[in-house]
Amino acid sequence: MAKIIGGLGTSHVPSIGAALDKGLRDTPDWKPFFDGYEAGKQWMRDAKPDIAVVIFNDHGNTFFLDRVPTFAVGVAETYNPVDEGWGPRAIPAFEGAVDFSWHFVDKLVERHFDPMVCREIEVDHGLQVPMELFFGRPDAWPVKVLPIWVNTIQYPIPTPQRCWDMGKVLREAIESWPGDERVVILGTGGLSHQLQGARAGFINQAADRAWLDGIANNPEPYRAMSREDYVEQFGSEGAELIMWLVMRAAMNSDVNLVHKHYHAPASMTGAGMVVLENAA
Amino acid sequence: MSAAATIPDTPLFDRAGSIRGYRINKMAMALGQPVNRAAFKADEEAYLDSFGLSAEEKSAVMGRDWHEMVRLGGNLFFILKISAVDPTPITRIGAAQASMEHEDFLHLRLGKKRNG
Ligand SMILES: [Fe+2]
Repeated sequence: MAKIIGGLGTSHVPSIGAALDKGLRDTPDWKPFFDGYEAGKQWMRDAKPDIAVVIFNDHGNTFFLDRVPTFAVGVAETYNPVDEGWGPRAIPAFEGAVDFSWHFVDKLVERHFDPMVCREIEVDHGLQVPMELFFGRPDAWPVKVLPIWVNTIQYPIPTPQRCWDMGKVLREAIESWPGDERVVILGTGGLSHQLQGARAGFINQAADRAWLDGIANNPEPYRAMSREDYVEQFGSEGAELIMWLVMRAAMNSDVNLVHKHYHAPASMTGAGMVVLENAA
Repeated sequence: MSAAATIPDTPLFDRAGSIRGYRINKMAMALGQPVNRAAFKADEEAYLDSFGLSAEEKSAVMGRDWHEMVRLGGNLFFILKISAVDPTPITRIGAAQASMEHEDFLHLRLGKKRNG
């Protein structure tokens, strides 16, 4: 049986990747943000995972509005970074955990989910940036990936409860996998931000800080919250925080909050991360 | 979740927006490909025409009127590709939607310290 060695939550703001590309890591705007991730990077070095499950949303880079899967799962050999309009980025392609990904698809359908299954697809900053934040810029990524896309762009987006339910199936898939891989789960997105409308620039630091503790120690209210509540508290794009629930539901109900970091603003977003380990 | 107007000043990209903005978003999505970015730079109006944009949509794009593009159904994640061609910082787009000066927007909305 494969083993869940940690659950991570993190922002995936594209400007983070752009800042690294432009060598801005140690500028006054960015240094406090990146410094706070060092503990998470060290945790990852020590944890030595084999597989990273990354739950994220596409941002109009891979999926257009001609077909909008509520949930999609990658089963590809390789995932190339997609050109988001600024040209290709100098980061390595991601190797897929192919057999394990198919196993997850089997489990999902068995448990009455209906994912789109993707054999040939690129990945945008939603997956790239979390990998860079926790693994740095290696010549090759030290893990294989299982990407899970959640539609958070076009309404109706899935309910928080549905994301939670998917996390339960993810755990079952990991625990029923015959290999002995060490698996980390990255729930990504957020924290509070709003990019559209007259409320653009909305950041809710109090709600963000409460989220980082609450997702670890008392996630039930977030599972039960409506999508409207997410939009109201975290902004229209901050509602992508529902994707952390997939990660959280795959963990034990009791977890240790090993690392936590918050910084605002990163570009137009409240940004941060948690590292969770299952309590013994 | 259908009501787009329940939270003040917060448009959600729902069915109506998706239908209304389809052409403008499709045009912007295509800018993910270098060949289309070149076409856009070479003759913007001809590029927009090739996606069948209305006069209203064309003038919003050509005037870089971000507020209007969103009103016409443009979703920021797609139309950001226009800002990649120019390039325009996302905070300027945010300020335009909030109808604020850029410096004020950085300070009042994002909580950055004022320069100088
Ligand atoms: Fe996102």
